[in-house]
Amino acid sequence: MGSKYPPSLRVCLPWWALALEAAFILVFFFYTSYDTSSKNQKTLMETYRGFQDVTVMAALGMSFLASSLRRYSWSGVAFSLFLLVLGVQWALLVDGFLENVSTGKVVITLLRYRDLATMSAVSVLISLGAILGKANLLQLLVMVPLEVTAFSTMRMVNRRFLNIDDHSNMMHIYVFSAYFGLTVAYCLSRGLPSGIQEKDRTATSPSLFAMLGTLFLWTFWPSFNCALLNDPNERKNAVFNTYYALAVSTVTATSVSAWAHPQGKINMTHIHNAVLAGGVAVGASCHLISSPWLAMVLGFVAGLISSAGAECLPVCFNQVLGVHDTCGVYYTFSLPGLLGGITYIVLLTLQISWTKNSMSLGWNLAITMAEGGDEEVVVWRHLPGVPSSPFMAPATETTTAPNYRNHIFSSFGCWILSKSIQEKQGLFENKTTSFHHCSPLYSTNTYYSKAS
Amino acid sequence: MRFKFPLMALGLEVGMIVLFGLFVHYETEQNIQQLNATKPTDTGRFLELYPLFQDVHVMVFVGIGFLMTFLKKYSFSSVGINLLIAALGLQWGTIVQGVLHSYGQTIHIGVENMINADFSTVTVLISFGAVLGKTSPVQMLIMTIIEIAVFAYNEYLVGEIFRASDTGASMTIHAFGAYFGLAVAGVLYRPGLRKGHENEESVYHSDLFAMIGTLFLWTFWPSFNSAIAEAGEKQYRAIVNTYLSLAACVLTTYAISSFLEHRGKLDMVHIQNATLAGGVAVGTCADMEIQPYSSMIIGSIAGIVSVFGYKFLTPFFATKLRIQDTCGVHNLHGLPGVVGGLAGIAAVGMGVSNTTTVAMQAAALGSSIGAALVGGLITGLILKIPIWGQPSDENCYDDSIYWEVPKKIDYDSHFHDYHQLNPEV
Repeated sequence: MGSKYPPSLRVCLPWWALALEAAFILVFFFYTSYDTSSKNQKTLMETYRGFQDVTVMAALGMSFLASSLRRYSWSGVAFSLFLLVLGVQWALLVDGFLENVSTGKVVITLLRYRDLATMSAVSVLISLGAILGKANLLQLLVMVPLEVTAFSTMRMVNRRFLNIDDHSNMMHIYVFSAYFGLTVAYCLSRGLPSGIQEKDRTATSPSLFAMLGTLFLWTFWPSFNCALLNDPNERKNAVFNTYYALAVSTVTATSVSAWAHPQGKINMTHIHNAVLAGGVAVGASCHLISSPWLAMVLGFVAGLISSAGAECLPVCFNQVLGVHDTCGVYYTFSLPGLLGGITYIVLLTLQISWTKNSMSLGWNLAITMAEGGDEEVVVWRHLPGVPSSPFMAPATETTTAPNYRNHIFSSFGCWILSKSIQEKQGLFENKTTSFHHCSPLYSTNTYYSKAS
Repeated sequence: MRFKFPLMALGLEVGMIVLFGLFVHYETEQNIQQLNATKPTDTGRFLELYPLFQDVHVMVFVGIGFLMTFLKKYSFSSVGINLLIAALGLQWGTIVQGVLHSYGQTIHIGVENMINADFSTVTVLISFGAVLGKTSPVQMLIMTIIEIAVFAYNEYLVGEIFRASDTGASMTIHAFGAYFGLAVAGVLYRPGLRKGHENEESVYHSDLFAMIGTLFLWTFWPSFNSAIAEAGEKQYRAIVNTYLSLAACVLTTYAISSFLEHRGKLDMVHIQNATLAGGVAVGTCADMEIQPYSSMIIGSIAGIVSVFGYKFLTPFFATKLRIQDTCGVHNLHGLPGVVGGLAGIAAVGMGVSNTTTVAMQAAALGSSIGAALVGGLITGLILKIPIWGQPSDENCYDDSIYWEVPKKIDYDSHFHDYHQLNPEV
């Protein structure tokens, strides 16, 4: 709020926007064409469904989530739509060029670029949350290409040099865009004047509109998390895990919000954001988690972190760091995103160490006793590519190991052990390549159960 | 209103049930083979198209309904009457279109009939936008019946006789609906409202509600344009073209809106409506092999035309031509629909489609507008008969004459101090 009269945008905004659009049309003219590969109607419709869900999240969900300020609802919604289309067109081009630098021909395929482009544009919308109300449309118009380029380049580098697949790459979106937005907010903040607090409040109707956005995001988040996965099994896992994580984080966030208030009242602002934390946290690892309880724990922790953040962080951020985070992207996206990243690393490490370890007999015994042989059999049967030996099948039908299980697993520690093993086997279930390492394990198992 | 409306609505519904009993049957394996021996349709097709049908349904009931909630005292009617019209229209549309296309035989409804029936209601809803706030529900029931009949004939003419291509229905639905509505609004002109009406304006939150409709329409428009496209290559192109056109349209709309308004501010009316013009305009040539860039050009032009229309044409229509177009459907559907028709002519002229000719496309555009104007004039004259419970001039744009409304309406209680806090506005 430097001067009483903010500068007029009439001089520059129309020309910048029109020039950008003209440039887009020119570039599209030279470098794009339809995807001419033969299309199966069924896959086309399937991809279109997934894509449509992501667009609903971006257009309806993110827009209305940004409409929670009592004096800024129009801008929240309208600017989001503007940034979305700008981001999508820019990301289409940047992704296309980075992908095939050598040929220089962008082919618009429904599957890859459109999904990727919409998701890249979502990164801008997340960042918008941090600077909402403090930047005009022209500043945002400059921010979009910069952020989308940075994000796409980061993903390209990750893919090329670190060999990270598309899904995990995309799930860095939360952390990336939250910190991007916060940094921009830090540079923009000039010590808000005292009269401004009145406007930085929500009222009943804007809160309801933001709730509309929250519900859209909540409903379609499973589609977002599985949009870039190809393996049907992984997709299924991703949907289930996201679904349960979201449910748990909703319950957690609501109860923590009530608990933190002296009279036990629920704060709508906490609900808007903290409810979604589960979906963010489970994003990176959703295809690796094999049992719902782990996703639920993740959702629980995310809900706790996010609600606690909503309770404590705004004060600390505004007064100590001088960063004014309007919509609370730090605790909605960044903290749960970090949690998700750490979980992903832990899961991967467990998986790798498990594969590399020579399977000692002790491990095998533990597993057999823990699972009673039946879990492995299920995995075993569902896995293609593992040669089945005829003598195993009948043997596994008559499992007697539950006796052992009852006998041994009376203590909680052992229960944890069994669960962690189960988890690791879930990892194998998804990674057929690594599964071959444990073939001896299964032979031993079946042998063991047969013997017993 | 107490007896007229229930009697009329119940009578129409009974008529619909009788007609359905006489003409409509489910699609079964045998009758598909009997009827379309050349074009086999399997039940897999139903499941494939059902999601698209669902999207169109959402657009009709949620999208268009909420788009019209911008008036400060007329939101109930906008959403409520919208639902009524759409529900009646889709039954009537099924009958009329089915009877026309099967030459009076019994109709076997499949998912494509359902999509087409939803399409036919869209025309009435567009026309409803032009007369919003100035008609009674009874009048809307009559208009639904007449307009869908005219629409079905025109669509039959365009599709079966001219064999013109109009996948996204820029001409047969959007231009048709808009000009039909304008003709009705012209006949129903109210001199008493020449200087405007105190209720014909929006408040902060009613505009935000309208934005819900906009975003729903914006998100699902690719489904609308690709729903009846041929499976495979053409459907894919329809989706991609519509999406790019919409994206380009949003950008130019913001630019032009900021250019035309005082101090470069944005106008919410433009954002709500003109952002959708790209989807309307690309409809006709959505499935043709125009390259991505030309769909973006079509979208940009539509956005520009639409914003200019809102800024200059609507006031001109209201004062000079004596047509009061409440929602500005001429700028959102009429002009972009014509742009779409012209783009279709140009595209066919450049040889991207081998199924139609330039003359047939032009004939389709002409017949759509002509049928709409003639049909609209006749409908307007019927609706002018003063027995349909029309609201008086001072009761226009007011829900309370048709709805039970809460006693205390505090639609802008949060904004009493708005102007004091913002001296510069």
